[in-house]
Amino acid sequence: MINTRFIVPLVVFVTLVFFLYQGLFSDPRERDSQVLAQPMPTFSLPDLMDPSVIHTNKVFIGQVTLLNIWGVWCVTCAIELPYLTELSQQGVRFVGLYYDQDLDPDFGTKTLARVQQEVTDTTNQLGNPFEFNIFDVYRDTSLDLGVTGAPETLLIDQQGVIRVHHIGDINPRVWETKFAPLYDELIAQGVSQ
Amino acid sequence: MKIIIATMIALIISTSVMATQENYAFETEQQRVDFKRLTAELRCPMCQNQNIADSDAMIAHDMRRKVYQLITQGNNHDQVIDFMKQRYGDFVHYQPPVTNTTIWLWILPFSVLLLGGWILVRRKPVDINNSVSDTDKDHANDQDALIAKAEAMLEKDQ
Repeated sequence: MINTRFIVPLVVFVTLVFFLYQGLFSDPRERDSQVLAQPMPTFSLPDLMDPSVIHTNKVFIGQVTLLNIWGVWCVTCAIELPYLTELSQQGVRFVGLYYDQDLDPDFGTKTLARVQQEVTDTTNQLGNPFEFNIFDVYRDTSLDLGVTGAPETLLIDQQGVIRVHHIGDINPRVWETKFAPLYDELIAQGVSQ
Repeated sequence: MKIIIATMIALIISTSVMATQENYAFETEQQRVDFKRLTAELRCPMCQNQNIADSDAMIAHDMRRKVYQLITQGNNHDQVIDFMKQRYGDFVHYQPPVTNTTIWLWILPFSVLLLGGWILVRRKPVDINNSVSDTDKDHANDQDALIAKAEAMLEKDQ
């Protein structure tokens, strides 16, 4: 009798401590992406630099691509650009999904020429990893991808299926742990086929 | 002094002017009701504890625009919720579904309640007649003795 009197509260207490202790290290912002293992949502969007060119899902077929969602207004994007450029020089294919913060689709007054100028200035200064930039004018494709802000990066395989969805910047540590193993595997598969 | 007051008034006025309003026009009253309800029920994925009606984050602006678009295209409440859930997960709705994880939020309070009830029922009822302990008896004897002593003293005085 005396044993259960002490053991029951002790077990409850230890469980509670363990539960709360875990909470200290959990990231409330961490969520499972809904687009993993899904094909890239259907889109048809203009090129940022040459709006007469329309990009569709075909741009992802046959090559392993990193789709980087970014904008010049995004501070963290500016920090990761040099490293992305370094990776692109090693042969990694980067495509940008560009969206503008100030360009309100319904009430916007900013001209496309000014957006292009800002992008050119930024990439001249910090490096340009992108083969081209897709201009997500209405930010619809970002919404379809479950993007909450910039920067975010998706790893898309040769079949156009999203394999990694990373929120935040890419630095050497993130690349080594989250992207490189799968990227190398996908490249090796492509070569053997 | 006048300059300071004038500046303060100017500042107060300017902030209220800066607060821009989004104007959405609806064809029917039902659409407006749906829009209000949906933007209150959908949670901003960026700013955690705000719904998208409340939040000024860019993503909340975009989601409001999308909700408006979907409603005017004739989607009903559930269709819009499903649309957002497909993209942002169950997190985006303030009414989470019962899953293997969330079921505990329902089970735990009820099990604590049942446990409490069980303990109450199982506890031995207190027998009032036999509950007077030895110490109580001693105490009663002491009192009797004291009263007797006091009465003896009173008698002596008289």
